[in-house]
Amino acid sequence: MTLSLFDQFLSPVMFWIPLVAIAITLPWILFPGPTTRWVNNRSLTSQNWLLSQATSQIFLPINIPGHKWALLLSSLLIFLITMNTAGLLPYTFTPTSQLSINMGLAGALWMGVVILGMRTQPTHSLGHLLPEGAPALLTPILVIIETISLFIRPIALGVRLTANLTAGHLLIQLTSTATLVLLTIMPLTAIATGTLLFLLALLEAAVALIQAYVFVLLLSLYLQENV
Amino acid sequence: MLSRLVFLSANSLRSSGLIGAGLVQASRSLQTSSQRLAPVPPLPEHGGKVRHGLIPEELFEFLYPKTGVTGPYMLGTGLIVYLLSKELYVINHETIYAICIGTIIVYGVKKYGATVAAFIDSINEEKVAKAQVAKDSHISFLTEAIENEKKEQWRVEGRGMLFDAKRNNVAMLLETNYRERQHMVTNEVKRRLDYQIALQHLNRRLQQEHMINWVEKNVISSITPQQEKESIAKCIADLKVLAKTTQAKAAA
Repeated sequence: MTLSLFDQFLSPVMFWIPLVAIAITLPWILFPGPTTRWVNNRSLTSQNWLLSQATSQIFLPINIPGHKWALLLSSLLIFLITMNTAGLLPYTFTPTSQLSINMGLAGALWMGVVILGMRTQPTHSLGHLLPEGAPALLTPILVIIETISLFIRPIALGVRLTANLTAGHLLIQLTSTATLVLLTIMPLTAIATGTLLFLLALLEAAVALIQAYVFVLLLSLYLQENV
Repeated sequence: MLSRLVFLSANSLRSSGLIGAGLVQASRSLQTSSQRLAPVPPLPEHGGKVRHGLIPEELFEFLYPKTGVTGPYMLGTGLIVYLLSKELYVINHETIYAICIGTIIVYGVKKYGATVAAFIDSINEEKVAKAQVAKDSHISFLTEAIENEKKEQWRVEGRGMLFDAKRNNVAMLLETNYRERQHMVTNEVKRRLDYQIALQHLNRRLQQEHMINWVEKNVISSITPQQEKESIAKCIADLKVLAKTTQAKAAA
């Protein structure tokens, strides 16, 4: 069975059971809930500490009514970070490299914040379509541009995450294929490509964390505008 | 981690009607976790021992009686060689990537593992230390309260002595007052008696003077002029005699 470079992005199915469901429920297993103990073990303590730090950091600029979204955004952050970093391991499938999942998350959440803003404070939300301090002459054009940018947001959110991860995985595959092939032909070049692969893996690890954080940060920004 | 899935599904199985209960009873010998939730069983100090970060020590101990120290390693090597030779595991590009990411992960854990563990332990230590501080301060507060109470009890003992001293004081004051008043009374009585005496003396003196005056008056009124001349001449004669004797004594 010849493998193309894109076969790693196929949704895994075994005997017609979609394994992507197991892949998506991975964070639920890795992050245990509160225990009956006062002092927990290292893993749980570190998870709790990191999550509380991240959440307080993200929700610092948001006013109090927006803190209702803390649970949603923090669980989204955990989900994305786990998906991305688990996808770094060999022979794994990264659900967040699929446009379907990312667009589902981005579209639904973006629409949620926009509808929230339009329903609770429509004037304030529509006011964001005209940036402050703009010359009065440009108002019509600016409103059109801002509306387009508003509707581009979910697409941008979803595609950003998909593209980053897909590109990263593809690059890793290409580089490792090159290293493998060159190992027998030109070993020194293989060492060079191997070094490149090493650096690329480090980059991918960083990208995995950063892209998840950026996704949640942008959503919190949209929330800040509308809540 | 996957045991958590099993645990949760076992819970739901147990709570589901007919078969669940029977399964729980039948498998009781296989249940290893504690059957009670309280008191909360203590957490083990360290996690299970692993060798090379992945393989639990129990495997080595399990194989030791039959295969000795090198048993598990031979097993591992044999497995890997078998998988490779039969191409059950195909070496492809992912292998190269696996080596790469494996190096990164192992290096990261080896280098930063201890630091991260120490940091997490410090978070827990702070939590425990805060509670310890509260507990210690409360204990010291209570110890102080006990000492204060003991001091108060000692003070109460001393109070009896204090009352005795005060009673003595008051008695002395009363005594002094009484004596003063007695003294005053004596003085007053003496003054009144002195007054009476002085009055009597005055009376007597007045009587005497009156009598002397009366006698003198009478005597003077009874002296005739003839008698007066005679007495004056006698006085002069006496004086002359005296003068003569005195002159004689002075010359001698």
